Amino acid sequence: MKNLLKAQDLRAYYRLVDGTEIKAVDGVTLELRPNEVLGIAGESGCGKSTLAAVMSLTHNPPLRVVDGHVAANGSNLLTMPPEQVRREIKGRHISVVPQGAMNALNPTQRVRNFAIDMLQEHFPEMTKAQAIDLARARIEELSLPVRVLDSYPHELSGGMKQRTIIVLSTLLDPKVLIADEPTSALDVTSQKIVIKLLLALLGEGIITSIAFITHELPLLRQVADRIAIMYAGKLVEVGSMDEIIFSPEHPYTRALMGSMLVPEKHIREQRIEAIPGVPPDLKDPPIGCRFHPRCQKRLPVCSQEEPPAKIVGDRTTWCWLMQ
Amino acid sequence: MGEVLILVLRSRRFIIGAVLFLAVLTFGVIGPRVADRDPFQMAGGLFDPPSDKAILGTDNLGRDVFVQLMYGTGTSLLIGCVAGVVATTIGVTVGTIAGFKGGFIDELLMGVTNILITIPSIVVLILLSVAIKSRSAVVMGVIIGVTSWPWTARAVRAQTSSLKIREHVDLARISGYTTAELIVKEILPYMLSYIFMAFILQFSGGITNEATLSMLGLGPFQTISLGVMLHWALLWEAVRTGAWWAFVPPVLFLAVTSFSLMLINAGMDEVFNPRLRKS
Amino acid sequence: MLKSKFTRYVFQKLGWYLLAFLIAVSLNFILPRLIPGNPVNVMINQLAVGGVQSDALARIYENYMREFGLDQPMHIQFISYFRNLFRGDLGTSFMLYPGKVSDLIKEALPWTIALQIPTILVGWILGNILGAVCAYKGGRFDAVVFTSALAVSNVPYYCLAIILLYGLAVHNPIFPVGGGYSFGNFPDLSFSFFLDALHHYTLPFLSMIVVAIGGQAIGMREMALYELTTDYVHYSKAMGLRDKKVVGYVFRNAMLPQITGLAISFGTMMGGALVTESVFSYPGIGSLLFTAIRQTDYPLIQGCTLIITIAVLLANFLVDIAYGFIDPRIRAAQLGER
Repeated sequence: MKNLLKAQDLRAYYRLVDGTEIKAVDGVTLELRPNEVLGIAGESGCGKSTLAAVMSLTHNPPLRVVDGHVAANGSNLLTMPPEQVRREIKGRHISVVPQGAMNALNPTQRVRNFAIDMLQEHFPEMTKAQAIDLARARIEELSLPVRVLDSYPHELSGGMKQRTIIVLSTLLDPKVLIADEPTSALDVTSQKIVIKLLLALLGEGIITSIAFITHELPLLRQVADRIAIMYAGKLVEVGSMDEIIFSPEHPYTRALMGSMLVPEKHIREQRIEAIPGVPPDLKDPPIGCRFHPRCQKRLPVCSQEEPPAKIVGDRTTWCWLMQ
Repeated sequence: MGEVLILVLRSRRFIIGAVLFLAVLTFGVIGPRVADRDPFQMAGGLFDPPSDKAILGTDNLGRDVFVQLMYGTGTSLLIGCVAGVVATTIGVTVGTIAGFKGGFIDELLMGVTNILITIPSIVVLILLSVAIKSRSAVVMGVIIGVTSWPWTARAVRAQTSSLKIREHVDLARISGYTTAELIVKEILPYMLSYIFMAFILQFSGGITNEATLSMLGLGPFQTISLGVMLHWALLWEAVRTGAWWAFVPPVLFLAVTSFSLMLINAGMDEVFNPRLRKS
Repeated sequence: MLKSKFTRYVFQKLGWYLLAFLIAVSLNFILPRLIPGNPVNVMINQLAVGGVQSDALARIYENYMREFGLDQPMHIQFISYFRNLFRGDLGTSFMLYPGKVSDLIKEALPWTIALQIPTILVGWILGNILGAVCAYKGGRFDAVVFTSALAVSNVPYYCLAIILLYGLAVHNPIFPVGGGYSFGNFPDLSFSFFLDALHHYTLPFLSMIVVAIGGQAIGMREMALYELTTDYVHYSKAMGLRDKKVVGYVFRNAMLPQITGLAISFGTMMGGALVTESVFSYPGIGSLLFTAIRQTDYPLIQGCTLIITIAVLLANFLVDIAYGFIDPRIRAAQLGER
C-alpha cells in the first residue's frame, strides 16, 4: 500500500545510563492521510514529542526504537540506509518544524546561506544563484519579506524566525510536515500568522499533510482535521476533530477537554476539573489501561488487561468501557 | 550530601583524582610529623645522590631532599588551600551579591571584576609580594587568593542570576526573607557543587601560582614549598649539573597535585553537567 | 551607520582598557613604595654589606633619592612618575647603575616576543583542532586525549621545561642548556646566527607549546560538545544536511568564543612563560625579571611588570576588537543593533 507516513506498533524507549528504560512511545499505530492536519495532543511527558521525533527520523541516542516501523511509500524508513534517508527522505519527503525553533537556525550564518547549503546538499548541481532565486521566489509566494534571506537569525523577531523556518523546511516541497509545538513560544498574533502560513502551504499544494503536535487543544480546534490523544506513551483515542473536541468518549479525553476547553467557552459556572493524580512513571507504567489509576470510571478489568482498540466509523478508542 | 558522594563515585575520573590527591595530602600532612630530620638540617654533602642515608639525596646545602619534599608538599597544599578559601569566599560573595541585586550594584561589582580580570594577575602578585617583605605561607595564600577571585565572581554571578528567577526564590521573597537570608537559604544551597568545583580550581591555581612566585624568588619566607625547592635547584644549577633528585621530585609532586585536582573537577563536571554527544 | 557604531564600540573598549591600564600603573607605582623603609635604603644596606665606604654610600643615597624623587611628597612623585612614563623613561636600574631600565627592556623584549607569540598562536590553532576532533570523535580517542590534555595543561609550564632541559640538554645533550644563542656568537642577520638561535629556541618553544595546546584543546572540546547539542544542529540534520556540513557549522561557532580564550591565554600564560625563560636562561623579560628580583632592583622589577601589563592589555584589546568584528551576535549585542 502506498502510504504517506505511518507508524506501526512503534515502541521507542530512552535507555538511561543506569540501564533503566523510559517507555516514551509504547506501541503506537498512527497513519497520516493525504490533505489533512493531524493533531497529536496530550499532557507534557506523554510521549508526543518522542513520537514526532521518531516519525521524522530525527531521534538520537539515548532514544532508540525497540520495535515496530515507520513506513512511507511502502518501505520501512527505520531500516533504510541512513545516507539514503538523508538524501531522499529528510527535507524531501518528511520535513520538520522543530520544538526549539527559536534557536533552530545557526546563529552565525545568514538565512540565505543556510538555504543554499540545504538546496545544494540535495541538488549538488544547483548553483548558488539558482538556490537563492528559488528561495526568494518561495518567500515572495508566501508573502514574507525578502530581506529575511539576508538576515542573521538574531535580527528576526520570534514570529518572523518561525515563519522563516517553516519556509526553509518546505523549500524542497516535502509531502509531510511534522510540526512540534510550532507556536508555543509565540504571542497570539504571531501564532495566528504562523497557523495561516501552515494552512497556506497545504492550500497551495506545496505540502500534502501536516502532523501538528501540541498540548493546547484550543489550537487544534482551529487547524486540525483529525486528532490523536496520547497518554503515557499510548494512544487513547483517535478521531475527527469534531468527535474528539465535542463528544469525547475516553474518560481521559473527557477529562482533558474538561480541564482545557472550559475557560475558552463562555459557560463560566461549569467547574474546571483538573485531572486528579499525576501521570504514571514511564519507567514502570501501570499494568492494564495506563489511565486506570486516575480514572473515576474504572472497571476491575482495567487494572489487569490492556484495552483493545474499538473502531466505530472514523473513531478508534482504547477503553474497556467502550467494549 | 551522601547522595552527592554516591553520584560522584560513579565517575572514574573523580575516583582516580581523589585517591591521588589523598595520597599527596597524607604525604604532605603526616610526613613532616613522622620525619626524623629537620628540613634545614645538613644531612650530607653538596648534591649527594640518593643513598641509604637520604633516599632522595641532598640539595645544594646538603639537606635531605625527601624530608624537604614532605615539608614542601605540606606548605604548597596549605598555601593552595588558603588561596582557594580566600578566592572562593570573595568570589562567591561578590558574585552572589552582584547577580542577586542586579542594577547599579551589579554593574559596579562586575565593572571592578572585569577590570581585575583584564590586568594580568601575575603582575599584581609580583608587586604585592615585593611590597610585603616577610611572607609566611598563610600570607602568601592570602595574597594569591585576593588576586584570583574575579573568575569565580563572574561565574557565580551568572549562576545566581539564573537561579534567582526560580519559583522557590520568589516564594521565599514573598514570605518576607531578607536579601541575606534569600542568598544563604535559597541560592547558595543550589550552587554547592558548583562552588566546590570553583574552590578546587582555585586550590589548584593557588598551588601553581605559589610555585611560579617562589621560582621567581618571591616565595614564602624561611619556609620550604615545592616552588622554593625548584627555585633553589634552578639557582644552584641542579639541572645543569645533572642532580635530578633535587628537581624531579618537586616537579612530579606539583604535576600530580594539580592533575589530581583537575581530575576531581572534571569528574564532578561529568556527573553534574551531563552532556549528550554524538552517539 | 554601522561604521560609526563600530567606531563607538572601539572607543568604548579603548576607554575600558585605558581605565584598566591606569589602575595597573597606579598599583605599579604604589605597591613598591609600601615597602617598609624605602627601596633605596634596602639597596644601600646591601651595598654596605658589600663593603662600600660610608661617605660613598651617603653620596649614592643622595643621588638615588633625587633620581627617584623619593624625597618628594607622594602626589608629586606620582605625577612625575607618569610624566616620565610617557617619555618612555622607566628610571635607572639599581644593579646596573647607571643603566636605563628602558634600555634593558628594549634589549630583552624582542626575545620574549619571538618566543611567546608563535607559541600562543600555534598552540591556539593546534589546540583547537585537537579539541574539536575530541568532541566529534568521542569514545576512547577522546578519553585518552582529553585526560592527557588535562594532565599537561594544568602542570605549570616550567615543570615540563625543567624535565625537557634535563632530558634533552643535560642527560642527552641534543640541545643547548640555555641562552638565546651560543656564547661568542653575536646577534646579527646571518643565516648561521639564525640556525644557532633556532637551536636554542627549540626547547623553550616545545615546553610551552605542549601546555598551550592542552589548555586550548580542553576549552575547544567543551565548546564543541555544547554546540553539538544545540537546536540548529538537530534542525540542520533533520533537513538532510550531511554530517560534514553540520560539523563545519559547529566548529566555526565553537571557534568564535575560543578567540576570547586566545586573549585569556596572553594573561595566564605570562607567569609560567616568565619562569620558563629563566629556566632556560633565555635572554627575555622573564630572565630579566628573575635577576631583578634576586638583586632587589625595584626600578627594573617595576619596568618589567609594566611592560608585561602593557603587552597583555594591548593583546586583549586587539582580540576584543577582532572578536567584535567577527562574530555577528557579539557585533549585534555590543552595537545595540536589532
